[in-house]
Amino acid sequence: MTRSNSTAVYITAASVLNAAGTECVSRDSQPQTALPLDFDTARLAHCVTAPALPAGVYDRKLSRSLEPQGARLLYCAGRLAETLRRLELPDERIALTAAIPEVDGPSSCWDAVQAIGEQPADLLAQFFAHTPPLHALMMLNSSVMAHAAEALHCKGPMGGFCSQGNAGLDALMEAAAHLSEGRADAAVVVSSSPNITPALYLRDVTHPPVNPGPWIFGEGAAALLLSTGPAKGAQSALRIAGFARGYSAQPERGVAVGRDVIERALSNEKLCLSDVGQVVADGQDPQIAALFTSAGHALEHSKALVGDLGTSALLTEIAATWALDSSPYTLLLEHSRGGHWGAVLLARALLDRETMESYP
Amino acid sequence: MQAREVLVTGYGLVAPTALDAASLFTTISKKRSCIRQHPAFVELGFANPAAGFVDEQQWQVIAAAFPGDLQTTSRQEWLAHYVACQALAHAGLADGAFARIASGIFVGANKHCVSGDLRDASRYMDDQGRVDLDQYLDNHTLSGGAFARRVDQQTRHLAEWLGVRDHISTHSDACAAGTMAIGSAYRAIARGEIDLALCGAVELMAHELSYYSFDGLGALCQRVDFSPQEQSRPFMPDRCGFVLSEGAALLVLESREHAERRQARPLGRVLGYANLCEAEKITSSSRDGSKYAACMAAALTDAGLASAAVDHVNVHGTSTQANDRCEALGLAQVFGETIEQMTFTANKSAVGHSLAGSGAIEAVLSLMSIQLGVALPTLNFQPEKSQFPELKFLCEPLQQPINVVLSNSFGFGGVNSSLVLGRA
Repeated sequence: MTRSNSTAVYITAASVLNAAGTECVSRDSQPQTALPLDFDTARLAHCVTAPALPAGVYDRKLSRSLEPQGARLLYCAGRLAETLRRLELPDERIALTAAIPEVDGPSSCWDAVQAIGEQPADLLAQFFAHTPPLHALMMLNSSVMAHAAEALHCKGPMGGFCSQGNAGLDALMEAAAHLSEGRADAAVVVSSSPNITPALYLRDVTHPPVNPGPWIFGEGAAALLLSTGPAKGAQSALRIAGFARGYSAQPERGVAVGRDVIERALSNEKLCLSDVGQVVADGQDPQIAALFTSAGHALEHSKALVGDLGTSALLTEIAATWALDSSPYTLLLEHSRGGHWGAVLLARALLDRETMESYP
Repeated sequence: MQAREVLVTGYGLVAPTALDAASLFTTISKKRSCIRQHPAFVELGFANPAAGFVDEQQWQVIAAAFPGDLQTTSRQEWLAHYVACQALAHAGLADGAFARIASGIFVGANKHCVSGDLRDASRYMDDQGRVDLDQYLDNHTLSGGAFARRVDQQTRHLAEWLGVRDHISTHSDACAAGTMAIGSAYRAIARGEIDLALCGAVELMAHELSYYSFDGLGALCQRVDFSPQEQSRPFMPDRCGFVLSEGAALLVLESREHAERRQARPLGRVLGYANLCEAEKITSSSRDGSKYAACMAAALTDAGLASAAVDHVNVHGTSTQANDRCEALGLAQVFGETIEQMTFTANKSAVGHSLAGSGAIEAVLSLMSIQLGVALPTLNFQPEKSQFPELKFLCEPLQQPINVVLSNSFGFGGVNSSLVLGRA
């Protein structure tokens, strides 16, 4: 494997879907009210209705066979189709990476669960009767990726990541590596939150999170389009200037890992934390708060607006940074419920006419 | 800038009927199948109960080696731990090695859920479809809870146990996940992000829900006139679907610098890797094999090798009509006239299709072929009846020098990946 000179990677389009809507909203907007869940009214969450897929992008019949997680993801991916098409790239030069939590999870099995409860002696018959024949395909993340790839003509490198916390960062870093190492010229990066079902809460108890927090779950998805040049006609360019990931299952090591991740994310640009104008991180997380006690940054985050989106949280914040005004340098820091740490440094530069015209 | 060399210094494996890699290699060398009648499938009355499965005797050994509380952990974690212990011992690494340097865990897996989970959960659902979560949680041990198992639980267990602090990834790319986990680890080491990785797959999908799902797609062999051992017959004209299986394999990868510093014994090298999205159709490939060919060619390019450098191919070879045909066409496109000088093996003929686990298991068997200079036979293969006679599958193990192996994994949804392995 040869490594190319580090080609710059830009975010040239983004789309989101969450409780705050389908457009990126300012992080200081009025928080949405979390609502009681259908299956447990004592619990609150920011749920969203699975959207209709963008017209003209996917096969019309596809909506019938999608579970909500896949529908959210494909909705966001589909909204990038036109921008991607305008890049006029060969299909083989377009990468696709995805962060999809619990893709093979039983989230669409709840009808079967209910039927089994009514006739427990007839377990398999009830399961089979209430589970679509193509259940396996519906639930495989590779199926969702295949739908996105087919519709957006992504036939380059790909990769699917599946864990609750850091999969969004894994997908972003994988896509950026494909571009910077010359395997692709553009990449679609997609992520979805977990479906909010009883299973989500059950798993939390069986595998207690390293970083439990008092967070309220949300549903949502996000998609980014990465390319090796700024968007045509854009007034400014948002470049991925650095990233790093780390992990600690031991809370007492968490702050040290978080600090290391920040330093590594800043190191490419030879920055220190005080050089960063904007920090997107959840100040309610005590370990994150501890990292910024002396830096004087006002931390901002979308969690109050949309809930904890898990795997989709990072891409949602990157999308917001792309869509809204941001500082020359924005640092996004994540600390997952599972103990993963991730940092992404984004650099925004204004483009003059000459620069803009130099890109095709 | 030239990327760093990536060495394989250890591996571990559990497959149906085999508790380690050497046992599985011997089993296949002796042309014995790992596929049997699955007792659970027999009990459920499935018309075709053939499967590869880790049996209760194996589970007793695996569970006995697990240092944690069996009541609060899952079988995936026990299996991951057991296989990782083998791999670390093979590499001569202590548990603490991963905590001392930049390291990573890359595990392919798909979701495990059995029908007992559904019945269990149903007891706490009222007629309005509401689940009494608090009552449910009050009445269950941690390991027994429905839906308690997560797709990334084994990754998390390994990361916590080994104190990994850098790169933790769970790959869920269907049948290609194991190969993609190895490929991601290779790239992370090659580009200098980490020095040491444990990578592969842990898959336990030989259960009734997977069976139902894949059978619903028409992907499973349903020829009950064949014995279980005869049902997986890659590249034969009468192949009719895959046999569900399970298992795990983990490899230790290191940068050459790290391996040399600790004087580790290299077992092989990862020379190249490619993963490409096919995006043709969900369950079948480009009919002409061109997308498979593109993936294999990209892996060889990544390795800096011409196709003529490949001695042996460990094919994906699921034993479905479509996959095997496309792979044969793809191989012909990549290797051209040199194809007749090469040997081929389809391990799924003996092991069945362990989905995410298959790529990792086949990578280990490929490395052993390089080390031992033995090409493994393909069970149920009859050269005189072969649909693709240009592909030299073997009926007997063949002693031959093997320097470079190409190992393919092609997953549902057009997830294609190829790995190039070679001598250290």
